[in-house]
Amino acid sequence: MSDIFPKWTNKLPGYVLAAGALMGTAVVAGVWYYFTPKYTRVGYQPVQPVSFSHHIHVEQLGMDCRYCHTGIEKSYHSNIPASSLCMNCHNQVLKDDPRLALVRESAATGQPIPWVWIHKTPDFVFFNHAVHVNRGISCVHCHGQVNLMDEVHHAKPLSMAFCLDCHRQPEAFIRPPEQVFNLNWQPESQTKQLADGARLVREWKVEKLENCSACHR
Amino acid sequence: MKTVPPPCPEPETGPRYWRSLEQLADTPAFQEWLEREFPDGASELTDPVSRRHFVRIMSASFALMGLGLTTGCRRPEERILPFSKQPPGYVHGVPQYFATAMPLRDRAVPLLVKSYDGRPIKLEGNPDHPLNRRAGGPGHGATDALTQASILNLYDPDRAQRFTYKGENVAREKALDALAAAGRAAAAAEGKGLAWLRGRTASPTQLRLEAELRKRFPRARGYVYEAVDFDVHRQAATLLFGQPLAPHYHFENARRILALDCDFLGSEQDAWHWTGGFARGRRLQSPNDPMNRLYAVEAVMSLTGANADHRLRLPAGQVFPLAAALFAEFMDQAGATQNMAGASEFASVLKDRARALPAEARRWAAACLKDLMAHPGETLVVAGHCQPLAVHLLAQALTHHLQGGGRTLSWQPAPEPAEGTLPELARALHAGEVQTLLILGGNPVYDAPADLDWPAAQRRAGTVFRLGYHEDETAALCNWHLPEAHYLESWGDARTLDGTLVPVQPLIEPLFGGLTALEVLARLAGLPVVKPYDLVRETFRELAGEAGWEEKWKRFLHDGYLEGSAPAAVTPTDVAWREAARAVLAHPPPAAPGAQSLEVVFLRDAKLDDGRFNNNGWLQELPDPVTKLTWDNAVLLSPATAKALGVYRVQEGYQGNPKALKTRVPVVRIELDGRRIEAPVWVQPGMADHVAGLVFGYGRLRTGRVGRGAGYNAYVLRTSAAPWVAAGARVTPASRDYELATTQNHWAMMGRPIIREANLAEYTHNPRFARAMDMPEPKSGAAPLYPNPLDELARHAPHQWAMSIDLSACVGCGACIVACQSENNIPIVGKEQVSRNREMHWMRLDRYYLGPEEDPQVVQQPMLCQHCEAAPCENVCPVNATVHDQEGLNLMVYNRCVGTRYCSNNCPYKVRRFNFFDYNRRPLDQLYRSPLTSFHDGEWELKRWFKNRDRGSRAQDEWDLMKLARNPDVTVRMRGVMEKCTFCLQRIAQAKIAQKIKAGASGDIVVKEGAVQTACQQACPAEAIVFGNLKDPDSAVARARAHPRSYVVLDYLAAKPRVTYLARIRNPNPEMPDYHETPLSTRDYLEHGGLLHGVGHGHGPAPEAAAHPAAATKGGQH
Repeated sequence: MSDIFPKWTNKLPGYVLAAGALMGTAVVAGVWYYFTPKYTRVGYQPVQPVSFSHHIHVEQLGMDCRYCHTGIEKSYHSNIPASSLCMNCHNQVLKDDPRLALVRESAATGQPIPWVWIHKTPDFVFFNHAVHVNRGISCVHCHGQVNLMDEVHHAKPLSMAFCLDCHRQPEAFIRPPEQVFNLNWQPESQTKQLADGARLVREWKVEKLENCSACHR
Repeated sequence: MKTVPPPCPEPETGPRYWRSLEQLADTPAFQEWLEREFPDGASELTDPVSRRHFVRIMSASFALMGLGLTTGCRRPEERILPFSKQPPGYVHGVPQYFATAMPLRDRAVPLLVKSYDGRPIKLEGNPDHPLNRRAGGPGHGATDALTQASILNLYDPDRAQRFTYKGENVAREKALDALAAAGRAAAAAEGKGLAWLRGRTASPTQLRLEAELRKRFPRARGYVYEAVDFDVHRQAATLLFGQPLAPHYHFENARRILALDCDFLGSEQDAWHWTGGFARGRRLQSPNDPMNRLYAVEAVMSLTGANADHRLRLPAGQVFPLAAALFAEFMDQAGATQNMAGASEFASVLKDRARALPAEARRWAAACLKDLMAHPGETLVVAGHCQPLAVHLLAQALTHHLQGGGRTLSWQPAPEPAEGTLPELARALHAGEVQTLLILGGNPVYDAPADLDWPAAQRRAGTVFRLGYHEDETAALCNWHLPEAHYLESWGDARTLDGTLVPVQPLIEPLFGGLTALEVLARLAGLPVVKPYDLVRETFRELAGEAGWEEKWKRFLHDGYLEGSAPAAVTPTDVAWREAARAVLAHPPPAAPGAQSLEVVFLRDAKLDDGRFNNNGWLQELPDPVTKLTWDNAVLLSPATAKALGVYRVQEGYQGNPKALKTRVPVVRIELDGRRIEAPVWVQPGMADHVAGLVFGYGRLRTGRVGRGAGYNAYVLRTSAAPWVAAGARVTPASRDYELATTQNHWAMMGRPIIREANLAEYTHNPRFARAMDMPEPKSGAAPLYPNPLDELARHAPHQWAMSIDLSACVGCGACIVACQSENNIPIVGKEQVSRNREMHWMRLDRYYLGPEEDPQVVQQPMLCQHCEAAPCENVCPVNATVHDQEGLNLMVYNRCVGTRYCSNNCPYKVRRFNFFDYNRRPLDQLYRSPLTSFHDGEWELKRWFKNRDRGSRAQDEWDLMKLARNPDVTVRMRGVMEKCTFCLQRIAQAKIAQKIKAGASGDIVVKEGAVQTACQQACPAEAIVFGNLKDPDSAVARARAHPRSYVVLDYLAAKPRVTYLARIRNPNPEMPDYHETPLSTRDYLEHGGLLHGVGHGHGPAPEAAAHPAAATKGGQH
């Protein structure tokens, strides 16, 4: 029989078992990490065609979110501003800067700037920006502190579990309407947030929408 | 624990509702069909792909899956492309609405069009238009099925997309140069040899341009042709009063209506408006409200006949004798024969014309006339477009003399058209008098009368220019073909039926660079201005007056109509008796049809019109309102006629292919004046005997991917002498079968009081009659074991959604079905799949026949997801894919659904639809083919799939246009997923969001009444559907639910539906020979053991029950 099974085959089952165990661990670990609703795409930070810095525009220059994202209070989408809007300032400020060449070209030719899409919900999710920002949910809850980002990255998971955290307990997140676009605002304490939040939820009749139809149609 | 089945009044003998002759015949095959929601073979792999082949493909796909994993881990990088210059007033994601109108012939439907990111995606009626306004409330924008579906024509991949010369592509400029050159050549000869042919139009700009053309080319001539022409209404009015007038009917004011072969709820022009007027006269709030009464005389069962209180079936040729008898009798009774010179002679000739009328019809007419005369000022007699001028003259004269005051019928100025007719043009062509022919729209090669030999005539013209929407039969015989723009791409103007001027404004640039008739005419005339926008503005300036016309123009485009542009109604006093009488008497007395010489009646199709909507998938798949046929037309024959011909196929109906249970019907050959066609037979209950109904619009030789191969062409038999009714046809069996796809036999709900009816008298006596048919509350055993969690949730929710449908108002037109399809991205599935019960419509219209098949009563009922509070579908779903939300909606979660179809099996209303195939992604003729194994256009589908996984195996052009037509607010469902009516969840959510945005930092979150309208509700021309919030006790739906007529279907299942129906009221006349004291549905219910609970014996409809003591006892056992 040794002709058919040479001696080294004696160890084969051991190798197979070890390899199987390793593979299994790798698969479990991989799935564990990548498929968790806490991960999804957190940290995704593509290189954008124009190196636009929210940090400079918001923190240094004090611009409001809504100066550029004009549709946020009216529409499903938070629109990316048109190149012509950038040119409102940049036809005087940094008007020959090579970093803005693409913006100038776009405004002149009508070709759009191909920004890379970062915060994306699946097609079967109908997330409405307007209803959230008008009812005390801040940009920061889903997008993180964009005001401090030089290059925007995916800060929160935006998974269904993430949405439900807030939909189950809106009082822990809801804030006064005047602080919605202030991304640096912090509640004084967690207890005060819960107390104030509960009051807002009660006064504004905020619904805890946990049913499927809230987001899927 | 074993579930105790709820008590159910199952009939033991015979069916009580029957939906088809097959069902009445109770074939075993039908029984089998009833027991399964999906017929045999539906779930098996039936295509020729063998098991081995299947395994091979599967292993290949698993291998590919491995490949896919490596590439699919990373999400594709997607780009956001914002504007480079923001358009003012535009917010991305917020739909915009524009007011426009759909021109159809010389009328238009005023519309509001929803546009999303520059794509028109949904049509709605314009609620502010004068015709749509309602006193004391918001208006209702009515539409019809054709209008709703017309948006799909915009995205038709088979529409004409190129300029051609003799079939070869040419540049647009070259074609336009040729047109201008033809104009210059004609100008040199004062227009000699130039002719243009068009359909009817009311566009003031087009009429102005044609007048200009006539001025520049005095010897040129315009011709007009419509295969289905409604001009006879105008001709009759003009002749009757000796001045150019057209009638304007006011059905809302009529209390007694007599329809002489006039399908004013279906195939007549402007049915979208007339339906509303008719329904308003029947929507009773209390038993003492006045209610109209409809008498209908007709040959074929139409929607009007189906809704009539009294219906007389009569061959179409015999309608003239009936009208003559009616009028002569009227003259006698009104004393006209004594007082007017010549009147008695006229009356006696009329009586002579009516001699052939059967005695039964004579009695019917006499009783009807008595009722009409008892309601002066509230009577309306209308004649249909298929009837000759003589009938129209008598009908309008009768109305004129019975009303005195212009309440039910008014007249408007309507100039005599200056154009010639098609036979005149054919003669000119054959005589070689036309060198240049311009055809604007239309399709005469397909639909011209057969005796004109139109294809040969058209070939005789030197050069033929044609502006067409499709490259169809006519396009094949043209030199130059120019693509026509859709009305949603064009500037134009039109008039609605009351004469109000409406704009036609574009929502999108022409997708394929099409032209409009206005531009073509302007270029031909060599005008300096050719842009349609400028042309329309010029006309508007003339019509609106110079003062402040720019402001008026803006207002015009914003509102969608020009206020006060309708001409004032004319009340003519003098009847041109002599001319009218001469025209009436010129009509020869028709011979009654017999078994050897059948009468052929040509019918405008409810869906494809005269064939212009042939390539529209939504309309092809929409079941015909009466026959419930899809994708085909058939020869309609009465049961007795079919039996006499030996083509009454009922017993064998399903035996052809027991596996697939297809509807195979015999084919007959029809010969008329030496011309012949072969067509499948559809036995239509309620039809007049010895009549064959032929339906237009099908059998096209050159059409798009959708319409190809559908039906037979009825125009082959049509002559210009007998355009609507032809006598002397011979029908013989052709000894072959044909397969039809019908939705008629699907989901038959046997033996339950599903549609509840009462006569008006009975309703007055016992307003709660509908609830009397409910099953009594069970004493024990059927109470739910657990409390329904919804009860607790609903207490805290701000809204509880519900719907109520008034069966007295619903006429069954089907506008709701198409509106739903358009709003909710519902795919079409094709004829083969419809014949397997797989159509995807979320809403259907059930039509039941009651009584004898020769002359049944018809009832219709829209059926959609009932959103049961205790939904039977929910507790059988193994994956929780169908659940309730706190506002009472039964939700379908597509991502959870794994396709077990248990929910559908357990749904008592059979309203759930399953995606057996990727209907959105695969071509309908290749549904059974794996998209991974097909090879076309030199590329494997697999490779293409890797490039674009969304597209499936659809052709690129189809896919691109399909995507444009989609509503972005609704998920497009994939294969293997159940779906159903959502109560237009997206509209509810949008209204709630809008209210919450408005509320901001306040608690005012309750959506206001009227802010949510479902698509079906909005489209319904009869305003039969009410939708709203039950928590608001003043809401229309809460009031409707509390109405005494309100009931739920299958109440004994205790599913607590959120959809309720208002029982139907009939208003028959006890003096009529065909009077039934009780509606046949109620009588049937009682005869088969139903009981009227809470109604004392001897009251209301009880006498029938007492007449059948055995039945009553049987009922008592339940």
